[in-house]
Amino acid sequence: MNDFLSTYGHLLVTMVQAGLLGLSLYFPLRAGQLSLASPGFYALGGYIAAIMLTNPAFSGLRDSLGGGIFVLTWLVAAILSGVLGVVVGVPALRLRGIYLALATIAFVEILRVLALNMTITGGAIGIFGIPQAFGLVDWQYIWLFGPLLILTLLFAWQLERSRVGRAFDAIREDELAADAMGVPPTKYKVMAFVIGAVLAGVVGAMSAPFLNTWNAKQGTFDASIATLAFVLIGGSRNMWGPVVGGALLTAVPEVLRFLADWRLVINGLVLVVASLYLPQGIVGALKKLVRPRPLRRPPTPPPASSPPPPPRQPNEVNS
Amino acid sequence: MTATTDSVRPTVLEARDMTRRFGGLVAVNKVSFDVREGEIFGLIGPNGAGKTTLFNLMTGLTPPSSGTLTYKGQTVTGLAPHRVAALGLSRTFQNIRLFRGLSALENVKISQHIRTRAGLWQGVFGTARAEELGVERRAWELLDLVGLSDRAGELAANFSYGDQRRLEIARALATEPRVLLLDEPAAGMNTSEKGQLTSFIREVRDRFDLTVLLIEHHVPLVMGLCDRVAVLNFGELIAIGDPASVQRDPKVIEAYLGGE
Amino acid sequence: MELSQFVQNLMNGLAIGSVYAIFALGYTLVFSILGIINFAHGAVFTLGAYFTYTLVVGQFENNGLLKGINLFPNGSPFAGHALTFGLATLIGAVVAGLVAVLIERLAFKPMRARGADTLMALVSSLGVSLVVINLIQLMVGAEIYNFPSNAYGDVPPALSFHIGDKTVIIRTVQIIIFAVSMVMLAILGYVIGRTRVGKALRAVAENPGTASLLGISVDRFILITFFLSGFLGGLAGTLVGTAFGVAGPYFGVTYGLKGLAVIVLGGLGSIPGAVLGGLVIGLAEAFVPADYSAYKDVVAFALLFVILLVRPQGLLGKSAIQKV
Repeated sequence: MNDFLSTYGHLLVTMVQAGLLGLSLYFPLRAGQLSLASPGFYALGGYIAAIMLTNPAFSGLRDSLGGGIFVLTWLVAAILSGVLGVVVGVPALRLRGIYLALATIAFVEILRVLALNMTITGGAIGIFGIPQAFGLVDWQYIWLFGPLLILTLLFAWQLERSRVGRAFDAIREDELAADAMGVPPTKYKVMAFVIGAVLAGVVGAMSAPFLNTWNAKQGTFDASIATLAFVLIGGSRNMWGPVVGGALLTAVPEVLRFLADWRLVINGLVLVVASLYLPQGIVGALKKLVRPRPLRRPPTPPPASSPPPPPRQPNEVNS
Repeated sequence: MTATTDSVRPTVLEARDMTRRFGGLVAVNKVSFDVREGEIFGLIGPNGAGKTTLFNLMTGLTPPSSGTLTYKGQTVTGLAPHRVAALGLSRTFQNIRLFRGLSALENVKISQHIRTRAGLWQGVFGTARAEELGVERRAWELLDLVGLSDRAGELAANFSYGDQRRLEIARALATEPRVLLLDEPAAGMNTSEKGQLTSFIREVRDRFDLTVLLIEHHVPLVMGLCDRVAVLNFGELIAIGDPASVQRDPKVIEAYLGGE
Repeated sequence: MELSQFVQNLMNGLAIGSVYAIFALGYTLVFSILGIINFAHGAVFTLGAYFTYTLVVGQFENNGLLKGINLFPNGSPFAGHALTFGLATLIGAVVAGLVAVLIERLAFKPMRARGADTLMALVSSLGVSLVVINLIQLMVGAEIYNFPSNAYGDVPPALSFHIGDKTVIIRTVQIIIFAVSMVMLAILGYVIGRTRVGKALRAVAENPGTASLLGISVDRFILITFFLSGFLGGLAGTLVGTAFGVAGPYFGVTYGLKGLAVIVLGGLGSIPGAVLGGLVIGLAEAFVPADYSAYKDVVAFALLFVILLVRPQGLLGKSAIQKV
């Protein structure tokens, strides 16, 4: 077991991390919004953690909080990502489809160039020597990312069966009809976007200690598209899609290690072939094999509940 | 100008000089009319007369260039579509805009949005069970009403044209409207379906105590169903009144014959 | 700003802006016909530069599988001759065009045949882009290759003139870039505006279904479009490569990204928009004060973000009225 973990443990953590980033893109997509902003919030979260954990300005706070500082970095990353998500989301989400995607790519690029040029982010070199969270090393980070993944999946599962989840679905299916049926689109589009932003920010804040170092390479255009690939190849209509897609696509280059220099070429081919042959994604393809469960009608309400419309009497002609 | 019995009912909708221009084209031109509580009000006119545009102006999908609509004294124009729905005006679409990738049941559950309250965290922590159960039940009941509850789990896209129109009505009713706006509810239906539709619309009006506005091309259906009819031509209201008198109006005859 | 500085910036901006324009046209042509963004366009740009470099220099001495191979053992037949450099550029662009056609056949056509979500095209073109980039790295390594300084023949490297007591320097390569781009734009404008092929292209772009009813083979025009797109991308790659060196396999990624900003700024699918967008972004970058030159790369995206919020259809795009 220890052998396995020392060989593949790091990869396993990276796979879970990729699944989480995929999920951060999945939430807005669930509401029909093609946002590629996740790497931007991921980078932001990482910088927040890196700065709080290394910058002398926070040394007093670190000394007094001990291990609690890590939890604080997650919270701060979540809050700031959420706030920035609202600030960016409110204007940007008026855009549709590919326009939104391009605006969010622009957002990621702007953050990247800022990070590259600011002093507090360490400029082009970035931030080094970020302390390990709670003394965890390498594969042990599964104890952070694993629970976060489980919580996120539970969140998604519950959300999709709720009033807010239905509003997301309605907007994805037909924004105008959703609006006409009483679902305020802007509110829920921003909500979905912010959920993704907060998740990506927290993942970033957990990743900075995991990687020890943080720099402007952490949030790039390539990462935007790679994250989109996680979701689309895994399946964008089901919460398991981004997890499966993120995990598999992260593992592919490792599995292909025997191909040495050719592995990245083949990795590209895998993306092409997968997008050609799995248009619904892996989970989408698997779902076709499973019969949907028949719907169960809830038992008739006790008389006290909301007044039901009277039953239909077919072919009754009034007046 | 019309049957005296109608004037007893209070006015619920007042349209005043509603106008919409698209570039140089005036799609709806200074249209004013009143709709009384509980009536079935028909909107007819040749193709391109501006009927659907008028519906869009009334439901907030298109902002009017000028003019106002009030519902029981509250201004409707200027509100976003979901606010109009909250006020109690709900509609169907000429080109059917169901949530095609979702089940019939989901379609009807979604439209209860404005009548329910559960927020993000209540949903995630499952603390709105009672409300959720109510939504579920009501959705089934509405599907019963339109006769689609045995196919509740099927995707909306898989339904026939007529069934999709009925599902759209169920979806509109789920918002608990006071005024129901139907945009060509009979389009694509066969003769027997059209016949059932007439009694169905009356039945819905009576049971939910609604006011109904409908755009329709099928003249026999309009004449048999509507209490009053307004005729639009080239964006202007050219006649309004009870079906029989409108049918005799020379301007209406000319609009229909002149267009052909 | 002094007049000399202004003129200098203007010249720099027009030169780079004109390359942005022809590169972005490649994106816009494909978008106008298929409604997809071809993320591999940046990789085609890179390929064009490498193809031309191969024809001019004939060898890659640094690294990779092709290290040590010399196409022209007695020195390059192209280097130092303006005419032959032009020929190499043309061949480089044609090959890039053919690669784009190949990409369409392998990565896009099968997807259309299945009626897949157009979003998937983003993923498959990303895959193609990864394949191309990593193949280049495998073949010739990640080093920067600079064109020989006499690549255009025996011309002075720069022109200089005076405004007052200040000197304005225009590199020869900037003049060539601007001239070639303008000639390309003129030709393209003629082809699209005046010829039968161009009219058919516009018909396909307006509505693929109607076009096939009119007896236009949509498939053939998709091929022509991809060829043109690749040709323009490859040409742009060569032009930038001669100015700044062929900067490794990832050379095209930055331009690929900037090209996106250009087409959105101008209006997705609008051909004059791509030209205008290219020039606007080129000039905006050129006028960034030297103290803030590190933020130059952000200009395009800041402009993109702002324009999307103020005028989502872009400068010259048509706004779509939603049908209810």
